[in-house]
Amino acid sequence: MENPVVILSLPLIFIVVMSLIKMAKKKRSDGKPWFRIEKVEENE
Amino acid sequence: MNKHLSMRSGNPALQSSTFRNHLSAVTEGTMTLSGTVNKTGIGLILIIFSAGYTWGNPAMHGLVIPAVIGGFILAMVTIFKPQYGHITVPMYAVVEGIFLGVISMIFEQMYPGIVIQAIFLTFGTLGALLLAYKSGLIEATENFKLGVVAATGGIAILYVINMIMGFFGSGIGVIHSNGMMGILFSGFVVVIAALNLVLDFDFIEEGVEMGAPKYMEWYGAFGLLVTLIWLYLEILRLLAKLQSRR
Repeated sequence: MENPVVILSLPLIFIVVMSLIKMAKKKRSDGKPWFRIEKVEENE
Repeated sequence: MNKHLSMRSGNPALQSSTFRNHLSAVTEGTMTLSGTVNKTGIGLILIIFSAGYTWGNPAMHGLVIPAVIGGFILAMVTIFKPQYGHITVPMYAVVEGIFLGVISMIFEQMYPGIVIQAIFLTFGTLGALLLAYKSGLIEATENFKLGVVAATGGIAILYVINMIMGFFGSGIGVIHSNGMMGILFSGFVVVIAALNLVLDFDFIEEGVEMGAPKYMEWYGAFGLLVTLIWLYLEILRLLAKLQSRR
């Protein structure tokens, strides 16, 4: 057990990574994605 | 809204009825998240300055016992009279800083470098759990709250029994032991202390949603400071146990 701080930091790093993944996957509260591509009609 | 009515927190300062008892007192503005964050920041700055000053002034070390007693009295006043939080919480932060300064210096003399490691891990835990809470990775569900409250209560009872046994020259070995069981116990206590942060975030967020009075910002900050101080002390103890095995 060379450096306890490194070992104790591992669960924190795991939580941060999982949180970031969850935030990246999360849709907006209205259920719509962050962006979408729509067909633009002529003269719109 | 129903979930507000059944709020629970492992932190004895943050009880389910706290906001409901003070909703009628809304006269000058309501509690905000930014206000609570600012007041928590003020509390942390006061603790750090007070601890730093105590660390550098050995003459202050005699104040550790009065600081513990004063901290307890100020905590009780804050819990029962949150209206005076703008006075009692900064004072609580200063006296806790004196206590933490002395404790930290003792640990630092025994295990050089341990204090900066404990500070890093305490704020790292705060940041990681804040992110987990905001992302929804950890949700303060009723079962979650019940589990954390039960575990916190169990630890508190164990510590009280240990203190009483201490008066008779005895104690619960697992709390102080640096064996595998002692380290696992300390690790468990650190995890429970960290999970109490989630209950504090939830308590503050629900207070804001319920439109609690402005002075409850100090109360929310107080709850967070109590948990952070506990977490720091438990991390310090865990690191000391790990380093004593080298």
